Amino acid sequence: MTEFNLPITSSLANDLPTSESESFTRSVTRNVFRRATARIGLAWIGILVICAVFAPFLCTSHPLLMEMGGHWSSPLLRHLAPADVILQIAFWAAAVLYILPRMSVQRRCLVWFAILFVSIVLCPLTIHPPQIVVYESYRVDQQAGKIERTIYAPIPFSPDDHLRDQEDVRLIAPNRDHWAGTTSDSADLLSNLIHASRIALSIGFISTGIAVVIGIVIGGLMGYYGGLIDLIGMRIAEIFDAIPTLLLLLIFVAVFTPNIYIMMAIIGFTSWVSYAYFIRAEFLSLRDRDFVQAARAAGLPVHRILFRHMLPNGITPLIVSASFGVASAILAESTLSFLGIGLTNEASWGNLLEQALGEGGTFYWWIALYPGLAIFLTVFAYNLIGEALRDALDPKIRKQE
Amino acid sequence: MFTYVVQRLLLMFPTLLGITMLVFFVMAFSPGGIGGPLLDHAGNMKSEDAARVREYYNKRYGIDKPKIVQYGRWLNEISPIGFQVRDDGSTGSFGFKQPSFGESLQQHRPVADLIAEALPVTLLLNLVSIPLVYGTGIITGILAARRRGSVYDNVTGIAQLGTWSVPTIWAGVMLIGILANREYVKMFPTSGLHDADALMMPFLPHFTPNGWVRGWLLDTGWHLVLPVVCLSYGGSAFLMKLTRGSVLENLGADYVRTARAKGLDESVILYRHVFSNSLLALITVAANILPSLLSGSVIVESIFGVPGMGKLAWESVLFRDREVVLAVTLIGGIVGLLSQILRDILYAMADPRVRYD
Repeated sequence: MTEFNLPITSSLANDLPTSESESFTRSVTRNVFRRATARIGLAWIGILVICAVFAPFLCTSHPLLMEMGGHWSSPLLRHLAPADVILQIAFWAAAVLYILPRMSVQRRCLVWFAILFVSIVLCPLTIHPPQIVVYESYRVDQQAGKIERTIYAPIPFSPDDHLRDQEDVRLIAPNRDHWAGTTSDSADLLSNLIHASRIALSIGFISTGIAVVIGIVIGGLMGYYGGLIDLIGMRIAEIFDAIPTLLLLLIFVAVFTPNIYIMMAIIGFTSWVSYAYFIRAEFLSLRDRDFVQAARAAGLPVHRILFRHMLPNGITPLIVSASFGVASAILAESTLSFLGIGLTNEASWGNLLEQALGEGGTFYWWIALYPGLAIFLTVFAYNLIGEALRDALDPKIRKQE
Repeated sequence: MFTYVVQRLLLMFPTLLGITMLVFFVMAFSPGGIGGPLLDHAGNMKSEDAARVREYYNKRYGIDKPKIVQYGRWLNEISPIGFQVRDDGSTGSFGFKQPSFGESLQQHRPVADLIAEALPVTLLLNLVSIPLVYGTGIITGILAARRRGSVYDNVTGIAQLGTWSVPTIWAGVMLIGILANREYVKMFPTSGLHDADALMMPFLPHFTPNGWVRGWLLDTGWHLVLPVVCLSYGGSAFLMKLTRGSVLENLGADYVRTARAKGLDESVILYRHVFSNSLLALITVAANILPSLLSGSVIVESIFGVPGMGKLAWESVLFRDREVVLAVTLIGGIVGLLSQILRDILYAMADPRVRYD
């Protein structure tokens, strides 16, 4: 039986006051949560998730409710995009599933993914928000007395509301109306920042996910088969390893007209190498172990040996590395957007930051400070979490403390 | 060891072939294709003029040839053994010839000249940054390890992670905005590597009857301060972390206990025994820092307007300038691969247990 145990599990078990029944995952989670730094990091990510999910309710030029000619209506709900609705469904489904008692974790995840899938299919088919939006009309109509009463969001500006009804709102410093100032195209900066948290979060998670999957498949095959496949795989990995990643990203992104999905794919496609190296090294040492030999002797198919038996034993170092990977994916996206070749039709933190240095040496401090701070805090949060995970998972460090 | 190095050097060729092929075909199959932005003048040109431009490019650079032929021609061009290419584009006899990087589509100049101008600038940036990265990183790392658990250690631990997380683009924008701005502190120049009149200056600083003259050397140094800070703080924080971890790991080892037991001075233990054993971990990342400084210079050079390799690479990518992109990729790839091999050699030198047989 000892062969089946992770070396890490056994040494952790000696160190931690865990009961017999506490699982490895649970003890690691507890260990991570115990650290103040990790809790700060997780709190910031939590705030970002809330911002991303509720962005259309927090900052929008559409009134939440308005009374027009004696009728109450909600322009905001009418203008919600399918993506907004999908996010709402996913968020509330997750919340409900988390509270529901007596359900295995696997079951909860499965149900959540099912709900997500159904809503992704159904929402774009059923929800058709108006294509042309004139944000000024609400303010103009209200001043003209056509709209009697309105309730606005806390930040009553949409990110693409260029405030055409107001004069001289371009690049103004933070004031009472615009808490973080305005950008060079007269949009509210804070609203843009909050909406851009969606880009940062999704780029981080999905591109790292893509990179991890590619890394696991290629690294796993290299480690399991060795020989010629290993040699070829190592050369492929070396190709991606030897070019400075940023140069490769520049070439890919400059060459394709990037939207957010292509961006995720490109960042994922250029950063899988370190995961492949990890898994390869892990599998090279695992493949001669008795339990793998036994699985092979039992006639299990290769994909089952690789993913059901070897992967759970070799994935721990990958989790730490993936956490840092999320941080560097966010950095990569904001750097590319800053250089002006990233996302062009959506405001991301990077291309907001780019507007900070104006023509002729002017410096708009609020545009430099807030988007930069947002990138920094997010990257810092993921690095803090990665650090805490590493400390919790690494038996060498644990022993010294 | 020798056979291993030779083997690795030989394996460089297929890898470099793969790298340039990947980059070339991504560029070639992109919308617009090679030189696309140069040919497409956004409708600002009459159609017969546009056709003439296209014809000129086709004739001079052969961008209408099949993609695989273009790549083959490039390979032939950079290889010292191959077909002679005459001025009219026809191929001559097979044999030794002068290898060349070809000519830039955008600037109509030999790529070798462009690189000869840009490379020294990037090398200068990196030659100043690397000692700074290693010096500060290793010293603070050792100090933190020595005072393990102290306030200094905890503060630098968080500060290290924080510094490492600061995006270079933010650091660059803030430094320019605050330290090189008329409205705030006008201490440093905003862009470039020299003042406009730097070539007229004497080399060293001088007091002349007309007043203080900064001199070429000081002027260049002045322009380098902000880019170098931007380029080095991340690597320095990373190295500090690594030094601390590896020194701590060695401080817990048995040989340190033995050294203490026989009454060795603590500083001798730290600097002679522990530090030389900790070098191993530092060597492994040394190879990664060099390529990452090179790609860091893409960001830093474009923020600070420094005309180095990073700026050249970025501009050539924007114009899909076939020859320049391939040349920069090739150089970047060679640097990356060589530093990997160098790492393996250093690794074996630092640790006699490591053998490559």
